[in-house]
Amino acid sequence: MSAVFARLNMLMFIAWRNVWRNPIRSVLTVSALAGGVIMLILYYSLMAGISQQMIRFATEISTGRIQIQRQAFIQDQDLYATIPWQYLTQLEQQNPSLQFAPRLYAAALASHQESSTGVQIMAVDSQRERPVTKLLTHVRQGQMNLEQGIEQDGMTYAPVVLGYQLARNMGVTLGDELVLVSQAADGSIGNDLFRVAGILKPINPTFDRMGVLMSIESYKALMYLETGIHEIIVNFEIEPLQTSNSEDWLSTIQQQLMTQITAQEQAQPLDKLGGKVQVRNWREVSPSLSQMLALSHSMMLMTGVVVMSLASLGMLNTMLMAVHERRQEFAILRAIGMKRRWLLLMVSLESLFLALISAVMGSLLGTWMSLRFEHQGIDFSASMPDGYDWAGMVFEPVMHGLLLPEHIYQSCLMMLVISMLASLFPAWLSTRHRPAESMR
Amino acid sequence: MSLLKLQNVSKVYQQGQIQVQALKDIQLEVQEGEFLALVGPSGSGKTTLLNIIGGLDDSSTGSVILNNIELTCLKESELSDFRLFQLGFIFQAYNLVPVLSALENVELVTLLQGRPAKECRERAEHYLNLVGLKAMKDRRPSALSGGQQQRVAVARALAAEPRLVLADEPTANLDSENATALLDIMHRLSHEEKTTFIFSTHDQRVMERAERIVSLRDGQIYQDQVKGE
Ligand SMILES: Nc1ncnc2c1ncn2[C@@H]1O[C@H](COP(=O)(O)OP(=O)(O)O)[C@@H](O)[C@H]1O
Ligand SMILES: [Mg+2]
Repeated sequence: MSAVFARLNMLMFIAWRNVWRNPIRSVLTVSALAGGVIMLILYYSLMAGISQQMIRFATEISTGRIQIQRQAFIQDQDLYATIPWQYLTQLEQQNPSLQFAPRLYAAALASHQESSTGVQIMAVDSQRERPVTKLLTHVRQGQMNLEQGIEQDGMTYAPVVLGYQLARNMGVTLGDELVLVSQAADGSIGNDLFRVAGILKPINPTFDRMGVLMSIESYKALMYLETGIHEIIVNFEIEPLQTSNSEDWLSTIQQQLMTQITAQEQAQPLDKLGGKVQVRNWREVSPSLSQMLALSHSMMLMTGVVVMSLASLGMLNTMLMAVHERRQEFAILRAIGMKRRWLLLMVSLESLFLALISAVMGSLLGTWMSLRFEHQGIDFSASMPDGYDWAGMVFEPVMHGLLLPEHIYQSCLMMLVISMLASLFPAWLSTRHRPAESMR
Repeated sequence: MSLLKLQNVSKVYQQGQIQVQALKDIQLEVQEGEFLALVGPSGSGKTTLLNIIGGLDDSSTGSVILNNIELTCLKESELSDFRLFQLGFIFQAYNLVPVLSALENVELVTLLQGRPAKECRERAEHYLNLVGLKAMKDRRPSALSGGQQQRVAVARALAAEPRLVLADEPTANLDSENATALLDIMHRLSHEEKTTFIFSTHDQRVMERAERIVSLRDGQIYQDQVKGE
């Protein structure tokens, strides 16, 4: 056993010395591989930063981590598919560590002077909404106090806040009057006069074009809907990507809520028409976001393979040259009894050392660079103050990386595997020549 | 009983369209402990013959029996093992691993043989001492003269305790003073270590050190002389 170890030790020793035999060539190889690792770490942390931003934006501003709705509301926005208010208060009592925000929705016609358009009303409870989402702080103009009426010409108007595109399309500015007409829950035509109190920043394309935000009181007054709420948004304090078990957390909480709600459904049965109460997480609520994240994951993998394959060409070249230069030396080693597999091992060890040095250098530099990028970020706010809206996703104007430990070891692992594959051929080549021929 | 027995060994190289007969019908028997020189002009087949004896090349026909083993029957990996444990090699040049010191070069074979590290170190020092290079043990080959490098190669060959040492023109790159010095060391060690040596040369003064001279011409043995007969 110790003899086997002594032999391996010797092969490692020769391999290590061989690394430094042509220092310039080795430095170039290491630079290419380490550069690949650095690029991957930076790229991975950028992608994670963007993903984190997207998830956060979606979950913190509008969707929440978890949504609770009736089946019929999910399927066709059935106005009557409500969840009783008692459900909400009970959930709040049972889960003091979670935050819940109720919401109500309705379709309506909005008009201002000559222009009128279809809108989507969303009613929120400011007190409960604030700890759950940043919806009410995401304001571009005006104020967000939905509960406080606006005094004008001796009258008190209920305030509304509009999506920015809707405001632009209708030509509405702060303080303008807005008439909302809708079919109320009792079948009558509900209509009311509102004043525009604020305009939101981009939230999501639908809300930006159609969204009208109001208080639950105003909603009730407009819609005569007293039976309950359409949606409960749930949030909690865990970074979506930073902690590796945040996904487990999400499903645990989802499970827990589902159990509690099932118990309530038994205690206080609901009408049949609205269907069961569903608890969905953000992945289920926004499948496109979830799909996009999955897609970016496979993109990341593919980019990794491409970058590392290119970087490994340096390794291939170096080892081919090394093996070619040492043909005679290898022939002599074979003559004195070195077996093919030992030679193969020796050459592979040399590549492995090169790759390991590259891994260490690459991850140190890559970590340092992406930590800087994480802290400073890249600021696009001069050119796009509202961020960037793409395929229904909104990006914040300042992009931050997010470096996770797996970015480092995944990059290194990918480099190690691909560069070792690249050195297999040269290593194999080294054992192919017959010693007698190589010595001529 | 003979250590080595060649019977009807021939070697034909195919070089494009033409066939080169490098060896023709070689019959040779070598006893244990012999110090044998293979002589002949360049191209006479010395290297080819040594390579066949060492299992580095196959013969086209004939049989090679070394230490009771028919080499032509061995597989590649068995040949490796055979060379590792039974044979020592000394080549004309570039014998040594350039990134290893003299001592490490000598250790190398014994480590490959699977001997414990401590024993390898002691052996390497012992054999370097025998070739008079104890003081140079930490030098890399590039810091040694040609003669010193060849002596390290001799030490390496002997450290493995082989039955037979094959040396293909070990003195070809040495001046005559170094050449005869190397031969003297080889000759002395062949007696002290009871090791058989077969070496090729075309140098008259080197030849004189041999106890038996086998002369090759055009791939055939035309003279086989034992000194003192
Ligand atoms: N690989 C080979 N291919 C073709 N011819 C060869 C090869 N090796 C040796 N020869 C030929 O075989 C003959 C013997 O060569 P060699 O054994 O090297 O002689 P020596 O070592 O005595 O100079 C020469 O004519 C040489 O050209
Ligand atoms: Mg020759």
